[in-house]
Amino acid sequence: MSETILEAKHLYFSYDNDQTHSLNDFSLKIEKGKKIAVMGSNGSGKSTFFLCCNGIHRPSSGNLFFHGKEIGYSRRELLELRSNIGIVFQDPDNQLFSASVYEEISFGILNLGVSKDTARQAVSNIISKLEITPFQEKPTHALSGGQKKQVAIADILVMQPEILILDEPAASLDPKHTDIVRALIDQLSDNDMTILIATHDADYAFAWADEVVLIHEGSVLKSGTPLDVFSDTEALARTNLRPPSVLPLFQTLCRKHILSKELPVPRTLTELEQRLEALPDDAKKASSK
Amino acid sequence: MFEIDTLCYHSKLREKNAEIKFAFTVLTLFICVWNRSIVIAAIVFATTGFLTVCVGGIPAARYIRLLCIPFFFLLLSTLTVVINFSKTPLSGYAICLGTFYITAGKDTILFAVQIFCTAFGSVSCLYFLSLSTPMTDLIAVLERLYCPSLFIELMLLIYRFLFVLAELASSISTAQKARLGNRNFRTSFSSFGALLSVLFIRAIQKSGRLYDAMESRCYDGTIRVLHQQYPVKRKELFLCIGYELLLLYFSWKGLP
Repeated sequence: MSETILEAKHLYFSYDNDQTHSLNDFSLKIEKGKKIAVMGSNGSGKSTFFLCCNGIHRPSSGNLFFHGKEIGYSRRELLELRSNIGIVFQDPDNQLFSASVYEEISFGILNLGVSKDTARQAVSNIISKLEITPFQEKPTHALSGGQKKQVAIADILVMQPEILILDEPAASLDPKHTDIVRALIDQLSDNDMTILIATHDADYAFAWADEVVLIHEGSVLKSGTPLDVFSDTEALARTNLRPPSVLPLFQTLCRKHILSKELPVPRTLTELEQRLEALPDDAKKASSK
Repeated sequence: MFEIDTLCYHSKLREKNAEIKFAFTVLTLFICVWNRSIVIAAIVFATTGFLTVCVGGIPAARYIRLLCIPFFFLLLSTLTVVINFSKTPLSGYAICLGTFYITAGKDTILFAVQIFCTAFGSVSCLYFLSLSTPMTDLIAVLERLYCPSLFIELMLLIYRFLFVLAELASSISTAQKARLGNRNFRTSFSSFGALLSVLFIRAIQKSGRLYDAMESRCYDGTIRVLHQQYPVKRKELFLCIGYELLLLYFSWKGLP
């Protein structure tokens, strides 16, 4: 059985002295090494939950547990928590404060109290791993949106957290830079890191995630495997989401007896296309008739 | 300012040791100002201009354009020294205006030329530093010189925020122009006021978010970052020392 790394129990949080709650009886268990897509409409409480995980916000009531131990809010406990749970913010301009990329990446690891030589080594490693070398000496204001996002991720990864939280990593990126960032996330997923991503992209969440969590009005509306969650059309409608394009297409093909229902559901359109290509020609002709 | 920042990242001198460049600039500037000599100022101007354009690779046209700004400013300032109103003509020049003269003595004219040349030499000296050394390297040098950390951190954040806010101001201004916000003087004035107030609010919001982001990376009140290191080369060090000794020799000779 998988180990629970992070657990939220009945969290409440308000930005306006309890008049409205951004987190409203929010409970969730996150297992170690899982890839979790956190989805929900704008203002549903995704970012607030992330900030609570990192100790930036303190819930007005409820408890958060990291490795089964309740999170404390003393300076020492917060530093320990933040060194283990890293958060990449949605807008890199709200995260990058240093004048140059190299300085920026070194900030987090130096705060962990390591020596300058160790930090220099770690920064060099992450720069090379994330392919930041060509622009490592550039000032942060001269970077493109995608490059800023790469640096923002490097900022956190250099601290080697156990949990990586990415708040809408592909927001305002062009397709090319979206692919770069996603390739980076895939690389991290392979390293057994627990990753939480806030996204509105159902196709990506369906293809990538082990678990999807739907958040609605500050609490978890539904969580489970991508297939479970995206099959619940009512829950999707309440959270302003659409099912991934591959799912209704696959269901239609099954209904028309072109593909078998017994087969596992393809996670991407490419996978579905490969399935169709693999069909014997007779079946294709029959289906076209 | 933004142009200088962009240019300095393209300079071939960018990866030279920042301490050497800083020491060269400060010493040269000090000798230039201390002597107030036309010859020394001309040497400084020629050397720093050569280093910036020929060695650093900064386009000459852009360098000259940058120099034009302080040139006209200094010219106007110096003119006030050589324009005097007097009832009697002085030795330098005199333009009769009825019962008065616009006039100045030879010493005053020499003094004005010396001031102009010294100031212009100093400006070119500072341009050499700012067009070859990025702000990040300068901040690192100041840190090594034991500047107070509060001052360093403020410089770092102000430098970063200047660009963020300038970008924001530019996008707000474009949005205003797109909706005829600058149609006439009245709307322009009103749009500018709105821009300033929005910018102020956004700056506060951004600073709050930035603080959260820093806290999430274990910020404890002190900004600690690593700086890029460019080793000192003996040749550059000796050239720098030689040049400063030459300037000191000229100043000892008492050139005009």
